[in-house]
Amino acid sequence: METRSAAAVGLASCHLCGKVSPVALGHCPRCHTTLHLRKPHSLTRTWCFLIAAIAFYLPANLLPMMTIGGFGGTSSDTIMSGVINFWTDGDYLVAAIIFSASILIPILKMLALIWLCLAASGVTAASPKALARLYHVTELVGRWSMVDVFVVAILVCLVQIGAISTVLPGPAILSFAAVVVLTMFAAISFDPRLLWDRQHGLAVEEPEKSPDTP
Amino acid sequence: MRRDLPGLSWPRLDDAPIQVACHFCDALQDAPRLLEGDAAHCCRCGELIYQNRPRSLARATAFSAAALIFMIIAHLFPCLTLKAGSAINQLTITEAAISLYRDGKELVAVAALVFTMVAPLTLVGGLLYVAAPLRHGIALPGAVTVTRIFQLSEPWSMLEVFLVGILVALLKLGAIGDIKFGIGLWALAGLVVCTAAAMSGIDRLELWDRLEIALNKPT
Repeated sequence: METRSAAAVGLASCHLCGKVSPVALGHCPRCHTTLHLRKPHSLTRTWCFLIAAIAFYLPANLLPMMTIGGFGGTSSDTIMSGVINFWTDGDYLVAAIIFSASILIPILKMLALIWLCLAASGVTAASPKALARLYHVTELVGRWSMVDVFVVAILVCLVQIGAISTVLPGPAILSFAAVVVLTMFAAISFDPRLLWDRQHGLAVEEPEKSPDTP
Repeated sequence: MRRDLPGLSWPRLDDAPIQVACHFCDALQDAPRLLEGDAAHCCRCGELIYQNRPRSLARATAFSAAALIFMIIAHLFPCLTLKAGSAINQLTITEAAISLYRDGKELVAVAALVFTMVAPLTLVGGLLYVAAPLRHGIALPGAVTVTRIFQLSEPWSMLEVFLVGILVALLKLGAIGDIKFGIGLWALAGLVVCTAAAMSGIDRLELWDRLEIALNKPT
């Protein structure tokens, strides 16, 4: 076993600039960021953001995203009914994009983060390498869920009080944006190094013994 | 560029061997100097630790300057123009957020404005502010803070998602009226490409090593 964890010898790499220095210094000598062995309260924060995101997920999917008013009265579209409309109109590609961006990605991302949190707290055992790949994917695709919110914003902007039809944003848009932002915060607060600590029996448990923890 | 010289790497404050810890698994390892274009991967988890990217500061400067120009154009000219009967509506990046605000979705409007305007601007502007003078070994006042801010804003810059949103909206709009592409749309596409190129040109460790030298230079 040649490789050691930096934390095992009291070294911390700066969150911001990556410089490795003794955690006892308190602040990074290069960029003056507070040093932590691990992201502080990583699991607690991730769980909080996750639970909030799950709570917003239901209204995001059940309430209408937008209301379209036209000749024949008004119609409200939820995310799923929008996907179905595209599908029945024959726009299979767009239906697939919206379905994966707005329904599949958020739910897979939340499940992936739950799994990562469970693995980091030692409930489930899995290879850190596979989990690391999972973490990368969740970080990468999460932002794309925002596409539905932007679509509504663009439609609202373009189809204003014209003679033909109007588009109004629905109540789900707030919940949906909240899901995306909260899952992004959850992914950012998760510390993948905890997965490796677990495997190597290194117990840098939270709350960590950083000198400036209140 | 003296590409063939062995041991070429970006300069560091001192030549003593330095250590890096993988930000993914925290494995402590020595950081060798790399040839241009080479990358160092973690010996435990295989994660990319750092990479010596060719002409990184020149690329970052050029692409972020180009992105800034594209950004101005994208904000000045409409991306799409919709003509339906006598009504003509134009879409610009800020207008999309403002119309959400007008329809009572203030929070979402502010979030959209941050994702499509504030974050891209701090990202590109911050990179230009740091990278351009750093090419000549100068760190402008507040360079450390600016670097911190643009690194933090990176995940929140979502212009490429906005671009895909425009494409999806196009399909929904097809039935309603005449749609014309504006200069803003092409500028937006250019902005997305240039932002990605500017950010991929630079390595975090390299940027900080160069910053450290510039900050410690006797004046």
